[in-house]
Amino acid sequence: MSKKISIGFPIMREEPGEKRVFLPDFAKKLTEIGFEVFIEEGYGNSLDFYFDNYKNDNPSIHPLEHEEIFKQDYVLILRSLHDSEFALLGKDSCLISMLHYPTRPLRQKIMRKNNVQAISLDGIVDDFNVRLVENMKSVAWNGLEATYTQFEKYIPNLIRENGNPWKVLILGTGMVGKQAMEAASKLGKKERNYEHIRLGGPGAIVTNIGRNITYNKSQMIELLAESDIVVDTTQRYDPSKPIIPNEWIAHLPEHAIIVDLSADPYTLDSNPPVVKGIEGIPHGNLDQFIFEKDDPNWGITIPQSIPTANKRKAVSCYSWPGIHPESCMRHYGQQLLPLMRVLHKKNYHTLSPDGMYFERALFRARLDSYLKRKSGQKKV
Amino acid sequence: MNKANNHKITIGLPLMHHEQGEKRGFLPDFIYALEKSGAGVYLEHGYGSGMELEASAYSDVAPGVTFVSNDEAYQQDIVLILRCPSDEDLRKLRPGSCLISMLHYATRPERVKFLRSLGLKSISLDSIKNDSGSRMIENFRAVAWNGLEAAFEVLQNTYPDPGFFSPDRQAIQITLLGAGALGAYTVKAAVHYGSIPLHEKLAQENVPGVIVTAVDYDITNHARIMRGLLSKTDILVDASARVDSTRPIIPNDWLAYLPAHAVILDLSVDPYQQKLGKNYTKGIEGIPQGNLDKFVLFPDDPAYAKIPDYVRKENRRNVVSCYSWPGIHPRECMQIYGQQLRPIMRILLNQGGLNGINPNGRFFERAIGRALLSNYVR
Repeated sequence: MSKKISIGFPIMREEPGEKRVFLPDFAKKLTEIGFEVFIEEGYGNSLDFYFDNYKNDNPSIHPLEHEEIFKQDYVLILRSLHDSEFALLGKDSCLISMLHYPTRPLRQKIMRKNNVQAISLDGIVDDFNVRLVENMKSVAWNGLEATYTQFEKYIPNLIRENGNPWKVLILGTGMVGKQAMEAASKLGKKERNYEHIRLGGPGAIVTNIGRNITYNKSQMIELLAESDIVVDTTQRYDPSKPIIPNEWIAHLPEHAIIVDLSADPYTLDSNPPVVKGIEGIPHGNLDQFIFEKDDPNWGITIPQSIPTANKRKAVSCYSWPGIHPESCMRHYGQQLLPLMRVLHKKNYHTLSPDGMYFERALFRARLDSYLKRKSGQKKV
Repeated sequence: MNKANNHKITIGLPLMHHEQGEKRGFLPDFIYALEKSGAGVYLEHGYGSGMELEASAYSDVAPGVTFVSNDEAYQQDIVLILRCPSDEDLRKLRPGSCLISMLHYATRPERVKFLRSLGLKSISLDSIKNDSGSRMIENFRAVAWNGLEAAFEVLQNTYPDPGFFSPDRQAIQITLLGAGALGAYTVKAAVHYGSIPLHEKLAQENVPGVIVTAVDYDITNHARIMRGLLSKTDILVDASARVDSTRPIIPNDWLAYLPAHAVILDLSVDPYQQKLGKNYTKGIEGIPQGNLDKFVLFPDDPAYAKIPDYVRKENRRNVVSCYSWPGIHPRECMQIYGQQLRPIMRILLNQGGLNGINPNGRFFERAIGRALLSNYVR
C-alpha cells in the first residue's frame, strides 16, 4: 500500500492574543480527502479545542511533537514560521503559509538558504490575479467595528447631539479600501447600523481618495479637518514615504480616530525602508490594538527617528482577521479545501501552470514560481 | 461524450437579438473549450459577427462546430446565451432542456414563473456563487469602468470655467449611492476617471484628482445632508441595490440641487415597471433608461417620453445610462465571461449535464447548485 500524504499543523507562536488554529472540522475533511493529519500537542487549546475534539475516533488524525510536525509532506500554518524555524522543515516537506514574498525579502532569503519548498497562501491567485485565500472583509469590518466601538463608549447608538453623520476618510481604493467603504458606511457592524437607522441616526458619509488627491497638501488638510475617522488601506509604490506626514495629523479634530488597516510595519533597516502610511502611529497586534493618545505603549513599536509629536487615538493591528478567530479560520478552511484536494494528487514539483483552475492558482504561489517571475521582470 | 452516459450533450448558442449595439457572443477559444469537453456545439448563423468574427474564426479552432438556424440553436440540450431571451424565444427551448443565462431570479419573478411553466431547467449566471457568496460570473469592473468612462466624457464638455483639464479647477466631486460590491468597483474606476490614459494625462499635468463620497440608505433619508452633498456634486452615481424598488433614493425634486453641469450615471439600471399594483422606479427618480445604442441622454432626449406617467421627471441633468455596460467593449467583456465560465462548463459537461450535478458536491458543483432554478424556487 502506498504511503498516505501527511500534513502537519504546528502551533503559531505569536502574541498571546493570537488564538487562531485550523478547526477540527477542517482536519476531518482533510482525512476524507485522504490525508494523514498530524497535530502538534497542545494545538487548538487557545480556542478551547483539545486533541479529542480533533481526533473524534478518526484513525487518520494523530498527535505529534513540535519538531516532528515539520517533517510531514505538507506543513500548514497561517502566519509564517519564525526565521529560526525554517531549518526544522523536512527535506521534502512543503510549507503552506502566509509568506508575503514581495514584502519580506529577508524571509525569502532564509527560505532559499534552507531550500524550502513553499506555497504562499497570499500568493494563491486565480486567472484574474484575485486572491483565493484571503479575508479582506474581516480586515476592514473588524478594524471599523473596533473603531466605532470606541465612539460608542461615550455616544450611545452613535447618534450625536448635533445630528451630524459620521465622516470617514478612506485612503486607498484597493481590495481592503473597497471593503472598508462598506464597513464604514454600516458603522462597522450591521446590527449596530440597523439600530442606528431605527433610531433615526444619520449614518456615515464615506469619502474615498486615491493618489491623485493624497499628494495635495491643502486638499488633504481640508479633508482631514472634517474627518471623524481616517482609515489607511493604501498599498504604496514607495513605502519609505508616509502619505500623511505627522504634522498633518494636527489638523484632525481632537476626537478623531486613526485606523491602520494596511498594517505596514516600521522596518527602517530593510531596503527600501518601510514606514507606516500615517506617520507616527503605533503598530498594534492582537494583544493591543487600541492606543490612546497618552498610551504608555505608544512608542514601543516606533523607531526614534519617526516624528510622533501629533497624536490622535489610533486603532492598529497586524492581524485584523484574528480578532474573531473561529469565524476567521472557518473562512480560511473553506477557501483551502478545494486547493488541498489538488495538493493531495499533486505536489510542489508536479503542479503545472497548465493544470486546472485550482492547480494553476497553486502553481503561481510556489516560491520557485515567484522567483522565476521576479527574475523575468528584472530582465525586462 | 460525457462520463455519465453515452449521449453527447449538445449546446446551442443563439445570437442575442436585442438592440443593434449588442454585439457580444462567446469567443472562439471558449467554443473550443466546450468542444474539447465533449459537447456538440451549435452556433446560430452569424454568431460573432457583431465583433467582426467570421464563421471560420470558430470552425478553425473548433472544427466540430455546426452553424444552424436560430430555432435549431434553441433546440439543444443546453442553451447558453448571456442576456435572457425574449418570451417568444424561450418558448423555442425543449421542455427539460437547460437554459444558462443572466436570469436575475430575485428581481424577475414573472420570468421565474414563465420558465417553470415551460418545464425548463436553468442556471442563472448571476447566481453562480462560491462558498463565501461571491459571484463567480460577473463583470462589475466593466460596469463601473465603462460607465465612468462615459460619464467623464460628458463632464469634460459640461464642466464650467476654468475647464475640466485646467490645473486650477477644484477636485472632481463624485457622490456614490450604494456601498456594496458594485459601489466598491465604482470607487476605483472613479478615482481613475474611468480611463487609465486620462488619469495619467491629468496626473502629469497636476490637475486635481477625484474625491468619491459614498452614502448608504441611512443617509439618503436625511434631506438636509443630501442636499448639501448634491449641491457640490459633479457626477452622481447610482450603484445601489435597493431592497424596496418602489421608492427612489433621490426623489426628482432633489435633482434641482445638482449643479447645471452635473452628470448622472446610472449603473444599477433598475427598470421603471408596474407590477401587481405597485409602481417600481429607478434609484434616481425621473432619469431615462439607455442602452448600447444610446447611452448618453441629454435633458431634451426623446427617451424621457418613455418614462411612465407615475414618475416625476421635471428636474433633469445630462444622464449616462446603459442596460448592459459591459457590452460597450464586447470582446474584452466576453473574454472575461468565457474565462470565468470555463471551469463551470467543464464540470457540467463532465458530469453529464444538470442531472449529474450534486449541489452538495465539490466546489464548482456547489456553485452551480446555488444557481439552479429548482434551488431558487425551493
